[in-house]
Amino acid sequence: MEIVNWIIDSLLLVVHVFFSFAPRLVGLTILASATGAAMLWVFGRTGNQERMNQVKRRVQAGLLELRVFVDEPAISLHAQRGLIAANLNYLALALRPALWMAVPMALLLIHLEAFYERAPLPLAEPALVTMRMTADWIPSAPPPVLITPCNVAILGPPVRVAASREVSWRILPYSPVSDKLLFRFNSQEVAKWMEAGDRQRYVTGRRVRSRWEAILSPGESRIRSNFAEWIEIRYPSAELRIFGFHVNWLVWFLIVSMAAALLLKKRFGVVI
Amino acid sequence: MKVCLALLTVAFLMTSACANHATRAAGKRMIVLGIDGMDPVFVETHFVDLPNLNQLRQRGSFRRLATTIPPQSPVAWSSVITGMDPGGHGIFDFVHRNPTTRMPVSSMAETTEPTRSLAIGPYLIPLSGGGVRTLRAGRAFWQTLDEHGVRSSVIRMPANFPPAECEADSLAGMGTPDMTGSFGSFSFYTDDPAEKREKVPGGQIVRISLRNGRAELAIPGPPNQMRSDHQATSVELAVSVDPTEQTARFDTQGRQFILQQEEWSEWVQAEYSLIPHVNSVRGTFRVYLQQAHPYLRIYVSPVNIDPEDPALPISTPRDYSRKLAGAVGPYYTQGIAEETSAFRAGILSKAEFLVQSRKVLADNLKMFRYELERFQDGLFFYYFSSVDQNSHMLWSRYDSDLLEIYRAVDRAIGQAVAKAGTDTPLLVISDHGFAPFNRAVHLNSFLMREGFLALDDPSKTGDEELFTHVDWSRTLAYAIGLNGVYVNLEGRESGGVVPEADKQMVLERLAKRLAEFKDPDTGEKVVERVYFPEEAFRGRNLKYSPDLLVGFRRGYRASWQTALGAVPRVVLEDNVQAWIGDHCMASDQVPGVLFSNRPLRTDAPHLWDITASILGEFGVPKTNGMIGRSVF
Repeated sequence: MEIVNWIIDSLLLVVHVFFSFAPRLVGLTILASATGAAMLWVFGRTGNQERMNQVKRRVQAGLLELRVFVDEPAISLHAQRGLIAANLNYLALALRPALWMAVPMALLLIHLEAFYERAPLPLAEPALVTMRMTADWIPSAPPPVLITPCNVAILGPPVRVAASREVSWRILPYSPVSDKLLFRFNSQEVAKWMEAGDRQRYVTGRRVRSRWEAILSPGESRIRSNFAEWIEIRYPSAELRIFGFHVNWLVWFLIVSMAAALLLKKRFGVVI
Repeated sequence: MKVCLALLTVAFLMTSACANHATRAAGKRMIVLGIDGMDPVFVETHFVDLPNLNQLRQRGSFRRLATTIPPQSPVAWSSVITGMDPGGHGIFDFVHRNPTTRMPVSSMAETTEPTRSLAIGPYLIPLSGGGVRTLRAGRAFWQTLDEHGVRSSVIRMPANFPPAECEADSLAGMGTPDMTGSFGSFSFYTDDPAEKREKVPGGQIVRISLRNGRAELAIPGPPNQMRSDHQATSVELAVSVDPTEQTARFDTQGRQFILQQEEWSEWVQAEYSLIPHVNSVRGTFRVYLQQAHPYLRIYVSPVNIDPEDPALPISTPRDYSRKLAGAVGPYYTQGIAEETSAFRAGILSKAEFLVQSRKVLADNLKMFRYELERFQDGLFFYYFSSVDQNSHMLWSRYDSDLLEIYRAVDRAIGQAVAKAGTDTPLLVISDHGFAPFNRAVHLNSFLMREGFLALDDPSKTGDEELFTHVDWSRTLAYAIGLNGVYVNLEGRESGGVVPEADKQMVLERLAKRLAEFKDPDTGEKVVERVYFPEEAFRGRNLKYSPDLLVGFRRGYRASWQTALGAVPRVVLEDNVQAWIGDHCMASDQVPGVLFSNRPLRTDAPHLWDITASILGEFGVPKTNGMIGRSVF
């Protein structure tokens, strides 16, 4: 799984670097358009286009029937039944391409979070770093030692949360940082990447130990040491402004990718 | 034809009049700073430490500013707002009483229920009506300025909740409630077995128990207006305490923060659900970790209305509070933001209170500088609460701490003087001064001793509020609020026994007794003056006026128990609470201050003259009911 994560991240980083001269919106829009086109292609290749065309014609016929025989209740009712059946048929036909698309799309969106969901830590504002310890952790024992880059301060002692096996630190970056936090415990070490400053960049929220969780938390390799299950930095949400309005990046991504698919369907010869 | 000509002439005259006002007001500027509770004697004693006020005195003018009867902030600031005396604007105290039930009610605003609503299960969807409205009569001076095309910014004006409707930028000040609808209800959570109390004035004390180092605190929010039972809302704040260190982590609604011992959090936003996933309101609060070990002690401030998404109107235009928060960050919206109640209750120490009150002042100064910087023309009014609230807790005992607050405000005044330059008139006013509060007077106990009030069982004296044991069939008069005495009048009070014809006789007898009232410990007179509203006020809006207003001598004040209708055993006792300074006395004992960068025409200005001066400066005529004269 780590290899898959690495490949997707590398591809996205290339796109990100390529469009780094422009506002984030530009990269996101181009990425969404390309995704829309790719998904359209997958839809065309994996769906039964002939059957879909037939079903669409049945829907059109049903709609025409409704308009023409508006004064004939029996025919209208029959047409409505036909429409419902055709729609169900269409959904069934769309299921196969949807299943083909679901996994790569979900993976892509998870990876895009690191680019568009999170913003680096603001300077001179405290932030929380939390480590979930493994089950054999004793809360009353001394906590892991956190070593920060020179431009990041640790505010006070950590809090050991017995109920959830967590240790939380408060850190304060006072100049831009793109460096590692180092945690030392029982002569073992583990690191977590941190980002702080104004410039939007690749920001990973959580580094994990479990293989399954690594799917949901890509961006950093899995934790190898056996004292921590995950390490998380609470980053603020990134802002995406379109015409002065705050828009969630995911909403914009889905709108643009769907619009791209609709615009390109004739050129690709795909029925959707 | 004649009719047409007449109409044209009238139209021409009206247009000319408006144009004339606009021309006179165009480009004019004025700055007014309201410093609640700034005392003339304290200022005179410390002029050397207050260079900007001293300079204003030397280069401009300094007078004592006569205050209202009674000298209470909502009353006094309402006079500044309207240019009327209390008989005009109808505010006589922090609390009025409902004549029928004799229960205390807010004097400044009232909430009304929707007139039509749709019931769906336990929920009640309001369809029309309902809301909150001011009880102050008269037009606010900035509404009048607005009508004449004068722009104004009126920031944190007291007794202006909900804010007077107009185009001006305004933010409500003292009188703005917290999310629970009170003037400020704090919550204190502890597992300390020594803390036995549950309710204290201004807050609640909640017993908690830690399980595996964790406890869940319910932070109270507003009553749910969307439910027929108005069930109280709350949000959960989970606290996890470190096993040995004096530090804890807090989790609420997806947000986390860490506090060390004796540390305040930043503002925490809380979303109170009214209809799950459909409707909610937002509040903000601050958390103070007083102690983590050996016992957990957590103080949570009253939940303020969130300025970024206010649940109630706190500004005009409505989105002004949001814009302000965007510019200066989140801020206190609660009218009285200093945590005096917690200090009084012994939950916060003096040092802790000072830290918190400095946060309020810092908030205030940040907003002041931002708005002063933005100010271009028209009127700029800004209000500071810190001198008043700190004087209540520090007066005459901790002068150096109080002087620090005066100094901070003096620096702000210096910035306003610089902004005003030579062409802009500047006024610095306070609504009243201060005096020590050494002895607490239980007015209801005095009334009982003098035969004006009776209990159903004379042994049932005590601190029980709301006249619990009063026998109304044998009671002629009762006290509620901080300066008011009411006759138990037949036809007005439910079960009233004093006929209208006897009212004056009862009042005169009572006034005589009050004038003779002496402190048995010192032999001093307790009451300086007694005021009859018909004589004291020019206005006749006396619906909520007390029948008699008691002007205490310096050092004496109505007790807290009196304010809410209790009848303790003794008539007078030493004030041993942390609230050691006050001003609810005879008004001539506690005048305010008036500084200006211009010469003043009058030697004895009054609060309502300020209103006339502001309108006069912009060439705007006084409105009906205004009684002041310009000081320039």
